[in-house]
Amino acid sequence: MELRYFVLRRVLLIIPTVIGITVLVFILLRSFPDSLLVSAYINPHSTLPRQEQIQIAKEQLGLNLPVPVQYFYYISNLLKGNWGFVTKPFPGPVLLGIELFMPNSIQLAIFSSILSILLAIPIGTYIGSRPNTFADQAGRVFSLVGYAMPPFVLGILLILAFGQGVSNWGGAVLPFNGVVNVPTPVPHWLLNQETGFIISSPTHLVFFDALIHGDPRVAWSAFLHLVLPVVTLTYTILAGLLRFIRAGMVDATNQEYVKTARSKGVPEGMIIKRHIRRNALIPTITVMGLLIAALLSGVVVIEILFTYHGLGWFAVTATLDNQIYGVLDTTLVFGLILVFANLIVDIVYAFMDPRIRY
Amino acid sequence: MAEVNVFKKNVEPQKRNPKLEDMKHTMKLFFKNKLAFSGFVVMMIYFFIALLDFVYPQYLGVTNANTMLSFLYGQQPQLVPPSPPTLSKGIMYIFGTTQYGIPVLPAMLAALKFDMAYSIAIVAIGVAIGMVIGTASGYLGGMVDEFMMRITDIFFSIPQIVLALAIIYTLGDNFIFIVVAFMIIWWPIYARLSRSLALSTKEMRYVEAATASGSSKFRNIFVHVFPNVLSPIFVQISLDIGIIVQLFASLEFIGLNRGNPYLPELGILINWGNQYIVYGAWWPIIIPSIFLVVFTIAVSVMGDGLRDVLDPKLRR
Repeated sequence: MELRYFVLRRVLLIIPTVIGITVLVFILLRSFPDSLLVSAYINPHSTLPRQEQIQIAKEQLGLNLPVPVQYFYYISNLLKGNWGFVTKPFPGPVLLGIELFMPNSIQLAIFSSILSILLAIPIGTYIGSRPNTFADQAGRVFSLVGYAMPPFVLGILLILAFGQGVSNWGGAVLPFNGVVNVPTPVPHWLLNQETGFIISSPTHLVFFDALIHGDPRVAWSAFLHLVLPVVTLTYTILAGLLRFIRAGMVDATNQEYVKTARSKGVPEGMIIKRHIRRNALIPTITVMGLLIAALLSGVVVIEILFTYHGLGWFAVTATLDNQIYGVLDTTLVFGLILVFANLIVDIVYAFMDPRIRY
Repeated sequence: MAEVNVFKKNVEPQKRNPKLEDMKHTMKLFFKNKLAFSGFVVMMIYFFIALLDFVYPQYLGVTNANTMLSFLYGQQPQLVPPSPPTLSKGIMYIFGTTQYGIPVLPAMLAALKFDMAYSIAIVAIGVAIGMVIGTASGYLGGMVDEFMMRITDIFFSIPQIVLALAIIYTLGDNFIFIVVAFMIIWWPIYARLSRSLALSTKEMRYVEAATASGSSKFRNIFVHVFPNVLSPIFVQISLDIGIIVQLFASLEFIGLNRGNPYLPELGILINWGNQYIVYGAWWPIIIPSIFLVVFTIAVSVMGDGLRDVLDPKLRR
C-alpha cells in the first residue's frame, strides 16, 4: 500500500473514535438535570429577563426534544463554537478558556517530549550496547523508578530541592508557582485588566510573547517557571522511552544481520549506529502513543502541583468548582488531542517502517 | 539374574502431574530472580499490614481506622501546622504529624487496606468484563470484534486521569465513586490484551483439533482459549495494581475525594502535606510519597519477574 492510501485509511479510522468520544461526553452531559445544563447559560448582567434567557438556552441546546435529537444539537453546537460557559476560574465561554490555557499545556508537553527524546536516544544507545554492565543496571534502576514514581512525587522532590524559598541551603532559585512573575508596571499585553488573568497575546505563551514584545526580563521569568514542570514531565517520559530503547537494542543485537556485519568487519561504532540503533528505534515509535497518553495524564497533575495555568489545571479547577461545561469540554479536547497525536505517531511509524502499511 | 524392571521409568510419568510440576518449576524460576523475589516480599509485607489493619484495626491504637480523625485520640481537630518527627511521643509519632496534628505513620498504614482492597476489586471486575469481551470478540471476529474494538478505542483515546475526572464529576466526588470510575475505565485494557492473545491462540493446532473432534465455539473459548490467555493477563494485573494505587493518589492529590476528606489515603496525606511544603515541612509529604513509591516499585518489579517466568519464550 502506498503511504498516502495508508494515511487516508488511518484518517478515516479516527472518525468513529471521534464520534465515540462525543457520544461518551454527551452521555455524561445528559446524566445531569436540564436545569444545571441551562443554568450555565444565564448571564446575570444581561438585560433580558431570566425566563426568556432560559427559553433561549433550552432552544439552543434542544432540551425540549428527544435525547437522540439532542445529540445532533450538541454536535452542531460544538461545530458552531457554542461550547457552554463557566463562572470559574473566569466568567466567560469555555472556548475562550481552552484558547487561553491549551497553548501552555501543549508547550509543556512538546518541550518535555523533545527534551526526553534528545536525552533518551544517546543514553539508550549507551546502556543498550553495554547490557549487564554497571551503566546498564543504573539505567534500569533509573527507568524503573521513573516508571513507578507518580509524576507529582518527583515534582515535590524537585520543589523541596530547588524551589524558591523552600530549601534551607543555597542555590534554591527556581519558582514553582504559576506561569510568570508579573512585573510592575504590568506590560499591556500580559494581563487582562478586568479579571487580572494572564492572557498574554498573541500566542498565549508568555515566554514567546515576551520575546515578540522584546521584554527579556519577563521571558527569563517565564523560562524559569517552565523548568521544574518540564523536568518533571521529561523524567516520566524518559523512563518509559529508555526502557523500550534498551529492550529494542538488546533485541536487535541478537539478530543475524548484526552477526553478519560483525563477521565482515564493520566497525563496532557503525554497527551500533546503523544496524542496532535504527532497528531498535522503530518499535519505540509504537509506544510513543502510550507515552503521549501518560504525558497528558501527567500534565494534569503537574499543572496542579505547579499551578501552571494549562488545560489540565482548567479541567481540575472546573471539577472542583462544579463547572459542568468546563469539565466535559476539556475531556473532549483532551480526547481530540490524544486522537490526533496517535494519528501522527502512526503516520510517522508507517513512514519509517514500510512493513506495517500492509 | 535379578529382574530389572525396564518399564519402571515408563510407569512413573503417569503418576506425575505435569501441571503441578510446571507450576513448581515456574515458582522455582521466580524465586531464583532476586529482584522479583524482593518485590514479592515487600508486596507481602504491605499485604499483611493491610490484612492486619482490616482484621484488627485496634492494633493502630484506634477502634475506627476508617477516618483519620480517630488518630487524634479523642482531641478536637484543630488546624495546627505539622510537627516534626520525634521519638519522645511514642512510636506513632515517629514520622511526625500532618495537618490537624494527625500522626503520619498510623494514617499511612491505615491507607493500605483501602488501596489494596479497592485496586484488587477494580482489576477483578476489569478482568471479568474485559476477558470475556476480549476473548469472545477475538475468537468470533467480524462485526462483533469491530464494534467492541471501536468501543475500547474510545476509552484509550482519553487520558485515564481526565476520563476518571469526568466520570467522578458525573457520579459524585466520593471515594467509592473514584473506585466505580476506575471500574468503568479499566476493562478495555484487558479486553484488548485478551483479544490479541485470543487471535493468536485460535489459529493454534490444538484449537483446530478440538474443533475437528466436535468441540463447540463456546467450549473452545472457555476450555481452550481462556487458559492460554490467563498468564499474560496475570502479569498485567500485577502491574496494574501499582498503577491504580498511583492514580488513586494522583486524583486525591489534585483535590478530589471531597466526599470523605478524612479518609486515610496516601493521596490525601500528600495533598495536605503539599500545603506546608513552602514552610520546609518535608515529613508529611515525603514519608507517604516514599511509602507509595516503594509499593509501586515492588509491584512492578514483581510483575516484570512474573512476565519473565510466565512467558515461555523468555524462560530460557
